[in-house]
Amino acid sequence: MRRGALNNGLRVFWYLLLVFLYAPLAVVVFFSFNAINSSARFAGFSLTWYEQLFSNDEIVDALLNTVVLALTSSLIAIVIGGMLGYGFYRYRLRRLSWLIWLIYLPMVMPDIIFGIAEMIFFIAIDRTLGILAPGLGTMVIAHVTFQVPFVALLVNARLLALDPQLFEAAQDLYASPWQRARFFLLPVLGPAIGSSFLLALTLSIDDFVISFFTAGPESTTLPIYIWSAIKKGVTPEVNAIATLMIGSVFIFALISLFARKGSTQP
Amino acid sequence: MSSLRRDTRYLLATTAPGVFFIVVFLVLPSAYLVGMAFLSNGPYGLPTPPVSLQAFRELAGFGFLGWSPGNLYTLIRSVWQSLLATAIVILIAYPAAYIISRQPARWRPLMLLAIVVPSWTNQVIRSVGWMNILAPGTPVSDVAVWVGLTEPQMGLFPSQFAVIVGLVYNFLPFMVLPLYAAFERLDTEQVEAARDLFASPVGVFRHAVFPQTLPGLMAGTVLVAIPAFGMYVVTELLGGGKASMIGNLVARQFVQASNWPLGAAGAIIMIIVTLLGLKVLRDLGRRLGGDREVLL
Repeated sequence: MRRGALNNGLRVFWYLLLVFLYAPLAVVVFFSFNAINSSARFAGFSLTWYEQLFSNDEIVDALLNTVVLALTSSLIAIVIGGMLGYGFYRYRLRRLSWLIWLIYLPMVMPDIIFGIAEMIFFIAIDRTLGILAPGLGTMVIAHVTFQVPFVALLVNARLLALDPQLFEAAQDLYASPWQRARFFLLPVLGPAIGSSFLLALTLSIDDFVISFFTAGPESTTLPIYIWSAIKKGVTPEVNAIATLMIGSVFIFALISLFARKGSTQP
Repeated sequence: MSSLRRDTRYLLATTAPGVFFIVVFLVLPSAYLVGMAFLSNGPYGLPTPPVSLQAFRELAGFGFLGWSPGNLYTLIRSVWQSLLATAIVILIAYPAAYIISRQPARWRPLMLLAIVVPSWTNQVIRSVGWMNILAPGTPVSDVAVWVGLTEPQMGLFPSQFAVIVGLVYNFLPFMVLPLYAAFERLDTEQVEAARDLFASPVGVFRHAVFPQTLPGLMAGTVLVAIPAFGMYVVTELLGGGKASMIGNLVARQFVQASNWPLGAAGAIIMIIVTLLGLKVLRDLGRRLGGDREVLL
């Protein structure tokens, strides 16, 4: 009896929690279809803000920048981070474990300091050497820098879960380093590389602060566009852009749910 | 011997690119930023020689008009808001993690996904959502006005309340996930034993559940309290200057180019507080956990 009441209480708690988690997103989606510019009163369904959105070149450019930045940085990050995770695995016992602290640095450092440090660094390099002017290039570099540790740790964790004898077997069969990578490491690490690519993509798209500080005038991303629109007090299309981003997140979530169901990987 | 050397070279080659990125694009820029704090504030806010501790004096509140405690308040507010948000996150995450761990195994991934998905949308977008909900004239604000929480025309945003809501919203998943991992490994026999010994629900939690979930709690606290202290987006968008934290203070010195050395000095304080926070949490985890292995 008492336990039953407790369970009902927990049920109510769970549904309240879901409301808390999804209400802000639902409100954004709902008001993106509002006929008037208000987030307090709904004056009928309309697609006005979406029409404005796609006729706005600045927003379309921002969308392209977001996608290019996420894909480029994630691809570079899984190559470099994957190698790093592997290297750390093989070096475990060779007095280089202090290096692992280097990996944790980007993860514990406040992103605002990370972003500002990179901004002033890129500006200084640009002034003295004439390279690395703030723009999409510097954003890719900054994103790779914070994605690499996550990829390295995921790949490293996967390697630690393997039987070490597998590596010896590969070596005993006189496989060249290239053959070991191609026929042993890549297949074994496939799932870890796949999930770290997805994680790197998410990290890149989710990031605002570091992008904001390393961006140039021509490399606005969607979050940066939304930010400056709010700051200028121009909000009509913001809900519509945000809805598109929320929509892609949900498609992404569904895919990952089905991928999980389809795979036998725990 | 030669094979060992070749191996070493090969393994060094695999780690070099990653180490290069982190050293060149994170360690060096941070060192450059830290060094900037010890220079003087030149024209346009740019740092110039001579070396001085002027920035730290200014940060402590010494200006043209004598001493003012504004920056000190900001630092204290940052720590306070981060701790308050963490405490609320813990109160919500414990039952949430417990509920998920009690469900049939096939439901759990879906429930975890339900917790995590909102955090996949951008921080800026999540803040826009809360701005929409808490703005003056919305039903939620109307209720708050009716209850007497806030004045009409004001709404709940921008305010310190909105900042706390935003922080809790942002960091909740980072507490639920490690707590859930701890609950999933929970030794239920200990819990049964405590019940058999007629422990009250509080007693069961205190003696059987809490010690076992402590590693998850500590890991979650590190993932919530530390980044909440360094928060920039939520405070800037939802606080409207009323609840800004040290990160906003630092950023302002750079974005508006008013005083780079002062901003750099603020960044150093942020790094020191972050490291101190990590140390305090680790010591606390060790003391509470006794001989138990704590994830830090």
